[in-house]
Amino acid sequence: MRLSEVWRTTTFRLSVVYGLLFAVGMVALLAMVYVRSAVYLTHRVDDILAAEAAAQVRVAPAALKPTIDAALTINGRNSVFALFAPDGTRETGNLSAMPAGLVPGGRPVEIPATAQFPVAARLIAKRLPSGEVLVVGRDINQLRQIRRIIASALIWSGGLIILAGLAGGTALSLGPIRRLRRLQAASHDIAAGNLMRRMPSSARGDELDMFADTVNHMLGEVERLMSEVRASSETIAHDLRTPLTRARSQLHRLEQAPSASPDQIAQVTAELDEVLERFVAILRLSELETRARSAGFAATDLDRLLRQVAELYQPLAEEAGVRLSLASTPGVTVEADAKLLFEAVSNLVDNAIKFTGDREGYDGEVRLAVEAEGPRIVVQDNGPGVPDAERSAVLQRFYRSERDRLTPGSGLGLSIVAAIVRMHRFRLELQDAAPGLRCVIDCGARP
Amino acid sequence: MTKILVIEDDPQTAEEIAACLTAGGFEAVNRFDGPTGLEAAKSERFDAITLDRMLPGLDGLELIKALREAGSEAPVLMVSALSDVDDRVDGLRAGGDDYLIKPFAPKELVARLEVLLRRHRRPEAEVRLAVADLELDLVKHEAWRDGRRIELLPMEFQLLEFMMRNAGQLLTRRMIFEKVWEYYFDPGTNLINVHVGKLRRKIDTPGLVPLIRTERGQGYMLHAP
Repeated sequence: MRLSEVWRTTTFRLSVVYGLLFAVGMVALLAMVYVRSAVYLTHRVDDILAAEAAAQVRVAPAALKPTIDAALTINGRNSVFALFAPDGTRETGNLSAMPAGLVPGGRPVEIPATAQFPVAARLIAKRLPSGEVLVVGRDINQLRQIRRIIASALIWSGGLIILAGLAGGTALSLGPIRRLRRLQAASHDIAAGNLMRRMPSSARGDELDMFADTVNHMLGEVERLMSEVRASSETIAHDLRTPLTRARSQLHRLEQAPSASPDQIAQVTAELDEVLERFVAILRLSELETRARSAGFAATDLDRLLRQVAELYQPLAEEAGVRLSLASTPGVTVEADAKLLFEAVSNLVDNAIKFTGDREGYDGEVRLAVEAEGPRIVVQDNGPGVPDAERSAVLQRFYRSERDRLTPGSGLGLSIVAAIVRMHRFRLELQDAAPGLRCVIDCGARP
Repeated sequence: MTKILVIEDDPQTAEEIAACLTAGGFEAVNRFDGPTGLEAAKSERFDAITLDRMLPGLDGLELIKALREAGSEAPVLMVSALSDVDDRVDGLRAGGDDYLIKPFAPKELVARLEVLLRRHRRPEAEVRLAVADLELDLVKHEAWRDGRRIELLPMEFQLLEFMMRNAGQLLTRRMIFEKVWEYYFDPGTNLINVHVGKLRRKIDTPGLVPLIRTERGQGYMLHAP
């Protein structure tokens, strides 16, 4: 794992940004403490200096020098007392000369350590009525030390916080990087063709897990679609192989025979026509599945549509010995492509007649209905029905149950119905009619 | 001899169409792209044209528009790999007379061309059709066979009219479904068989010479004996 990789992680950057923000906060806080305490302490010193100066000013001029000397004896280590003649010469005290910048009655001045007073001091000067200048001062070493302590605390804590932020960021980044590495490895494996592989996810349910779960769900869909495509290719190949093999062997027989009868040729043609028919159905299906346009959509009267379907299929039903009935509700309209919806219902009716008719001793019945609720189109038969396990599968593209394989036709009828229904964003449901199958096109559902 | 212009860019398909047309008694002239096809259609007189929808140089739709603007009235059969309803509508709207989807059986192409030629030669404003002793009164909506009135349902009447207009002509199941019912999906073999069968039972009653003939594996033909 390279360091640059750590730097690039979001976790690391966030940790550093938060560390910096925290450091800035800490510095601001300490600076505030520093400034406030320094100002406070300085004021305290200034107050004391003012009080001491005032006390000396009140002393009689003659007693001033002895008073200063006495004060120096008592407190000469911590305080400065000095008296200067109007011409600036020192009369008494522990200060050799007036420091530059110190003005009688002006602002306090800080001076470094001198020979007489070995530590830094803060001084004020007062002019006496006699014209002499009185200087009073105090040791400010303590004040400076406090300032230093606060400043160093400030620097150290800021530095430590930044270091801790960097270290924490690095440590926190390592975990996600390791997990990303695992996700990467999984995705490479999947890209290489292992569609069974899934992204690793933990029980934590954090953002990486959410991402992995989303990708896994997508992979599931891809795997399902791939298997559908595979299954459909196999179905197409299987379906086409049978008539093509038959046509080939018939042609072979014709080649061997001394002369070909028109009947034999017609038989081969019929086999090839069957192949062509399936191709047309497959093309139709792919066309319907890629079509998302609703250009042909208009208000479609379901009652009228079902009447037309019933009229078209009545003769077929009669011949198959199936009773075809229509129970419709007039005045129900939906937005649809009437021709395509007609095709869908026709396919359902065709299937229903195909699977219900021609059964000995069986009273076949196919009922067509428009129900206002939904609104729904219902095609119901009392034939053998579709087993529970197969009901959702028959709606999948190219799925053909065993019973489909035995009946004529392209076998793609239900797939075409499903594609048309999907295009309309309606819903197709297959229900058990006990006995029989009940196909419902729910035109109200817009999933 | 009836001359057909075949505009088709795939040489193999063109050859196959031409062979079929020759076998059907037509003279076929091939052109392999849009511009030369249009040029031929404009400069020579053809009885009908088969036109591929997608052509190099000039799209089939453009070609037919240009042809109609130039005043040609030759019937055009459009041949296309596009089977979408909208594509069909576009093709017919541009001036095509019929639309055939690839892959197709060559016989179907010939059959459709013959229907087109027949319709083109004979105006539809006829009021009475007759094939042998079968008569159809288009105004009164009555059918007669051998002097006896035949009761027909509206759809049966339309089916019979279509078959009589194209008497002596092979009609595939798909053609019948498209022209009579005007739906463009595969209705399955049985559905049309049953409808024709029902009509046949009314027309060709026992004792009379059958007029409707089944062309095995292909379709039907109504013809005078």
